[in-house]
Order: sequence, then C-alpha cells, then structure tokens
Amino acid sequence: MNAKKTLATTTKIILWLLVIVFFWWALSNHMFSKIVEQPAQFISLLETHLKLVSISAGIAILTSIPLGILITRPKFRKFEWLIVNTANLGQTIPSLAILALAMGFLGIGIKAAIVALYIYSLLPILQNTIAGLDSVNPATKDAAKGMGLTSTQILFRVELPSAAYSILAGVRTAVVLNIGTAALAYLIGGGGLGVWIFTGIQLFDNSFLISGAVPVTLLAVIVDLLFRGLQLLLVPKGLRLARKAAIDSV
Amino acid sequence: MIEFQNVSKVYQGDVKAIDDINMTVNDGEFVILLGPSGCGKTTLLRMVNVLESITEGDIRVQGKSSKELNPIELRRNIGYVIQSNGLFPNMTIEDNTMIVPDLLGWDRKKKRNRFNYLMDLVGLNPDDYRKRFPHELSGGQQQRIGVIRAMASDPPVMLMDEPFGALDPIIRHRIQDEFLAIQQEVKKTILFVSHDIDEAIRMGDRIALIREGKIMQYDTPTEILTHPKNEFVSEFVGQDRVLKSMSLYSVQDLVDAFNLESSKQEVADTKMIHSDTSLRVAISMLLNQEADQIVIVDQQDNQLGSLTLNLIEKFLHREVKGKER
Ligand SMILES: Nc1ncnc2c1ncn2[C@@H]1O[C@H](COP(=O)(O)OP(=O)(O)O)[C@@H](O)[C@H]1O
Ligand SMILES: [Mg+2]
Repeated sequence: MNAKKTLATTTKIILWLLVIVFFWWALSNHMFSKIVEQPAQFISLLETHLKLVSISAGIAILTSIPLGILITRPKFRKFEWLIVNTANLGQTIPSLAILALAMGFLGIGIKAAIVALYIYSLLPILQNTIAGLDSVNPATKDAAKGMGLTSTQILFRVELPSAAYSILAGVRTAVVLNIGTAALAYLIGGGGLGVWIFTGIQLFDNSFLISGAVPVTLLAVIVDLLFRGLQLLLVPKGLRLARKAAIDSV
Repeated sequence: MIEFQNVSKVYQGDVKAIDDINMTVNDGEFVILLGPSGCGKTTLLRMVNVLESITEGDIRVQGKSSKELNPIELRRNIGYVIQSNGLFPNMTIEDNTMIVPDLLGWDRKKKRNRFNYLMDLVGLNPDDYRKRFPHELSGGQQQRIGVIRAMASDPPVMLMDEPFGALDPIIRHRIQDEFLAIQQEVKKTILFVSHDIDEAIRMGDRIALIREGKIMQYDTPTEILTHPKNEFVSEFVGQDRVLKSMSLYSVQDLVDAFNLESSKQEVADTKMIHSDTSLRVAISMLLNQEADQIVIVDQQDNQLGSLTLNLIEKFLHREVKGKER
C-alpha cells in the first residue's frame, strides 16, 4: 500500500518535471511563436476545433444515453447486440477511415468532419450507459417495483443516479478522445487546430507543430478535469462515498 | 385480509410453480409460508402484489381482486420486504425510508414525523441515521431500514420474503423478537416467507407448509408440530418436533394445566424460574443444573410451586401427545 503510494508520487513528480522541461525548452526556442504572431488565426482555429468537438460530442451524448436507456429496457433488450455491434464498428474502424468514409458521402468540409467525430464518440458513451444501468442491483429495482414505483420513477430516482458515475466516465472518455481525433479533421477540410499541426509536419516547422499540438493537449487535459469536477457534482453523495469506501477497503 | 382462490402459476417452459392454492390470511394475522427451496413460496408471495402474473385463479387483497386494481396503486398499499434489503444506494436513510410517502405526496413535516416514529420503533436514533447512506450501516441495521421502509405509509398488508435470512443467527434472533414486538403494536396482516422451521414457529400465528406448489398443511405452529397431517410435514418439522413444540408453551401454561397451588414452604438452596419462561428453556435448565426441582415464581416473586422433569413429562403427554390420534 505504502510502496504503491510512493511509486505513484514519484511517477507524478517525474512527469511534471518532464512537462516543465518541455515548456522551458519550447518557450526558450520560441515554439509558441505562431500563437503570438497570429492570434486571430489561432483563435479562429481554436473556435473551429471547439465547434467540431462540442457539436459532434453533444449529439453523440444526446443519442447514446437515450439509446443506452432504451436498450436496457426489457422490451428492447433483444436489440442490444445489434446496436452495440453497430456502435462497435464505429469504434473499430480507424478514425482516419471514418473520416474518409464521411468525406465520401458528404464531401469536403466541416460537416463531414462532425459526422465522423460523432460516429467515433458514440460507443464509449453507449457502452458506459449500458454498463452503468446494468450494474444497478436487480434486488434494488425489484424492491422499488414492489413498493409501487413506476418504471419511469425507477429510472430517474434509482437507475440513472446509480449509473451516473459510469455514464459520465463514458462521456469524459468520448470527449477527450474526440478532442484529439478532431485534429485529423484538417485532412478532409474540417479545419481546427489540426491545420497548424499538419502544416508543421509538412514544413518540418516545429513552431507550427507545437503551436497546434500543445493547445490540443491542454484542451484535452482541461476538459478531463472539468468532467471530473462534474462527476463530483452529479454523482449522488451516497454512491461516491460507497465507491470510496469500496476502494479504500481493497 | 388476503384470499387465495384456486391460484395456480405456470412459468414459461411449463414449470408449474403453484398448483391450485386456496388459503386465507385474516386481518392482523401473521402467516408464514414455509417449505423447502424451490417449492414456490416466493412465487406465491410475488403474485399478491402482481410482481408475477397469476396464471389461474384470483387473489383478493382487502376484498379487492388484484385484477381490478392498477398494479402501482395496489403495490403502494402493500409493504414489501426482501432478503437483500434492496435499499437505494444513492439515497439517504431518510429518503430511502420515505420513498413511498414521497410518491404519495406527503409534506415534509409529516414525512419527518413518520421517519422519527419508525426509527424509534426499531431502536435506531433518527437523527444519527437521517443523513447516512445504506452502505454505512450494518446488515442488521440495513434490514431494519428495509422493514420500516415497507411500513412507511402504514399499509395494512405486508409481504416479506425471507427478510432476516441473510443475517447471522444472533442478530436474526434479536430482529425477530423486535419485529414480533412491533407486530403486537401495529397488527399488520403479514405474509412471511421462510425456509426455517424454527423461525416459522417463533413468528407465525399460522404456518402454511408448502411442497411443490401445493399446501401440505395450514395450521397453527402447535398443530403443525403436534399433529402433522402427513409424512412430509412430520419429516419437515423434524425428529425433535416435540422438543420444538416446548418453546410454544410457557411455565405458566403448565401451572394452569395442573392448577398448581402457591405454597409458602421454604425450599433451601434451589433455583428459581419465572413463570413466563418457555418450557424449552425450563427443560434445559433442569438438565443443565442437575437440580431435581426449580421453584416457579411469578412477576411479584410469589412462589407458584416447583417444577420437575416429571411434571413436564406429564404435561407433555397431556398437551402434546394426548391430542395425537
Ligand atoms: N421467473 C421464473 N421463470 C421460470 N421458472 C421460475 C421462475 N421463478 C421461479 N421459477 C421456478 O418456480 C419454482 C418455484 O420457485 P420459487 O417461488 O422461487 O421457490 P422458493 O421461493 O420456494 O424457493 C422453482 O422450480 C423455480 O425454478
Ligand atoms: Mg424464495
């Protein structure tokens, strides 16, 4: 237990040192020069990037969670394999191939990029919604039903609160993956920070590369933290405590 | 009152779980559904609040057929307790307990008062537990909460499926006593599933012994123990059924049976036993302490006579064996 903690702390310190060294190197070599020189361009690329992510992930959330709820209802259980396998397909096909396919159907531009990112984000949310709802103790649901709760009441008062942790974890994974994958949107004319990254690669220009890649990374880290905060806010206290107690007792 | 009228249940795949059951549970009566695992107890219980459909026949609760009523309404008027308590992990103890009153639209104050009352009933301090969560409670405490949650809106009828089955013996015993005391006060109509003959004898006003979906005998614990109707019943209650039946009598019953006179004679150096002690305990006292006799005393410590193994044996023949055909 203690050895584990020491190891974790050491790893953390080494990682942070590496990050500091990297930023020191980058700053002293004017690697972020593009952001300083062309702030308007940077803001516009960032805006497009955020647009790609928020629209595609937003629609994915709005599709996957209701879909997950629907196929965990007894009536629709038999369609689970179909839906999950379809979503699985979206995840197993390489992101680049999805982009290419989307471009094939929708042509070049931001629309095709959003559709591709949307498909790519579906599965993590869907899977975690199903897993979260499935993890609710059947006895708890049975007791609720036996006491006269309607299925809607059971869903909103018992199932969704109990699944909140898992669902939010799925959304977090999807959004963070999405932020990284959105850098590929450039390839089909979708814009975003990928524009600088690929320019940097093509021109062997590190300042382009880093001015694009570092903001993408930071964005992912910040969004990840935001979602962890959201988890704290949305997951019922009893479940958080129970979870913590379970982890501590291991 | 719960009435079962020619009730049968066939599950998919032609499993006949319940086979033409007729029985009545009277108002305020505590009835145990007893039988080996898989005999259909849970199925029969769950048909009462329509968690399972009724294949044939009818079940009437408080005079109304479950077919006439909306299942949601019906269930809100029937308390339901299961073995694995089924508490909601996301809700505090108070919210858990008050879920049905909440659905029924009770106001905050009424809910709070009811919570305090019920917690006192099971000996838990309401303020200590109000804001706690189920996982912070011991198994026994969780099960107590499960029981009072079912009683929250004061339903006249309660269904309990092996509610204390997962608890260790000492805690189980204590909760059984506690619940009996509560039942003395609230007088609910209770249908209680058990596979434990000792629990059934301790708790039930009547026991329905079930085998393969059929009722083998529906009688008071005394009758079941002393006059088993058939081979299955006598085997199920066990070789020690006579001894078991002793726990149904108190020393006072014996005093009454033999019209023992209170005597003032001083007996030196003997043990005393209160008249409300069960005969089963009395027997083990006599055997353990190797005393030939124990002085029976009432609440006021008046001597009521002396108890010997001989006397108990006489009583046994009269009360238990004497009735056997
Ligand atoms: N949902 C179900 N589908 C099919 N058969 C069932 C179902 N539930 C119970 N059974 C069967 O019905 C019989 C009675 O089960 P149950 O009522 O659970 O018994 P008990 O509670 O006495 O142990 C058993 O043979 C069991 O296998
Ligand atoms: Mg059962």
